[in-house]
Amino acid sequence: MSLPLRDDPKRELWYAWYAAVFFYTLYSVIFFLVTHVQPPGQPWYTPTQVTHWFAHYHNGLLIGFALIFALGGLSATSIALITYSIRRMSVSRAFAYSYLILYAVSAVPGFLFICVAMTAGTFRPDRDPQLQQWLYDFGFLSFSGTMGVFLIGSLIWMTAILLDKNRVFPKWFGYLNLCNALTEVVVAPSWIFYRGVFAWNGLIAWWIDVFVFGIYTGVFLMLLRNMILREDFGSGPLPELPLLARQAPATLELAS
Amino acid sequence: MTTIETAPPTPPVTETKRVPGQPDMWVFVIFESLIFTAYFAVYLYYRARHEAAFLAAQSHLELWLGVLATIALLTSSWSIARCVQTARAGRYKTAVRDAYLTAGFGVVFMGLKIADWVHQIHLGNTFTSSQFFQYYFFLTAIHFVHLLIGFVVLGVLLYQLSGAERRSQEIVETCATYWHTVDFLWVLIFALLYVVR
Repeated sequence: MSLPLRDDPKRELWYAWYAAVFFYTLYSVIFFLVTHVQPPGQPWYTPTQVTHWFAHYHNGLLIGFALIFALGGLSATSIALITYSIRRMSVSRAFAYSYLILYAVSAVPGFLFICVAMTAGTFRPDRDPQLQQWLYDFGFLSFSGTMGVFLIGSLIWMTAILLDKNRVFPKWFGYLNLCNALTEVVVAPSWIFYRGVFAWNGLIAWWIDVFVFGIYTGVFLMLLRNMILREDFGSGPLPELPLLARQAPATLELAS
Repeated sequence: MTTIETAPPTPPVTETKRVPGQPDMWVFVIFESLIFTAYFAVYLYYRARHEAAFLAAQSHLELWLGVLATIALLTSSWSIARCVQTARAGRYKTAVRDAYLTAGFGVVFMGLKIADWVHQIHLGNTFTSSQFFQYYFFLTAIHFVHLLIGFVVLGVLLYQLSGAERRSQEIVETCATYWHTVDFLWVLIFALLYVVR
């Protein structure tokens, strides 16, 4: 029998998890459908074309980024839950604090700069087209080109998972962190190219990366959910999920 | 009266099959192979569209340097396989020697790769000089990053082998699986960039 929500000791964890899912959904809808900054605009646009781009998506950019400025802080919930998960591991707390600080700092170039630059460009449509192009470049380059700032954070999470003896996350997810970290490096050439697969909207620098990041995000949200279900507020190994605990030991071994 | 002797029923032999090392590492192997397959598909698509330009740029590559690098990396795969076998047999000193040998062949590969890059840059072939060399530098550089991680993995393996209290055959095999993946990816890169004309 489940406890009423007000008595559930996992209440805050569930709030954080639902807030994280809400944030990622909101982020996808706003970036892809409302503001149209994803997939990114063409990197080779001239100043005049950039001015037209801002005019074309004017309302979407204003509404979308207004929502992001109001609700984007919810991104902190997923970072907080991941930090909590590392604290629940058998590893030093230094991993959790390093991850928390790195991701908080990385969110500034990797997430906020594009919102500020595009909003500034949208609010001043009569400005010199050269300046509009500067904001356009700054927005997309800061978003795509600085993905590498998340690299060390992913590697810290990976190392914590591989060293952990409390089985908070399966080891394969540790290795998946490495796959994600390696694709984050691949975005760097977008600083150099205006066209082609390595430009900021290119097949390799953007499409493959986003595909990997999408899988990675979906997986870690599911694993965070499982962690909350398994949480016993102790300090030893996390118990298995109730469903898995009923299965044969051999299957359990494989699953872990 | 005849007595029929019947053999006591033997329990069915169940052979437990398992993949070498942690099964979790195979998620990395499969996922990373899929990502590289996507990179190769993009390369082959653009190569088919601009075949003449790609062939002209490709002719600048020194095949013998690629062959030597491949031999060095294949030999390192052989020595890491030996390392797994000797560790399995409990001959840890030999296993440590094999791990160092693997690292040595890895360093030789690194040296050859850097020499190849320097040679191409001297010829005027850089990351921005042509489409082919964009892929050449990208694929070889991302593979190089995998190789650098491989040295960290070899460090873990040596740490495991160096202390009797922490020797884990599973981790030794997991490290070897990573190293083989680096080798496997290189063979595909070598075939696509150097051999396929």
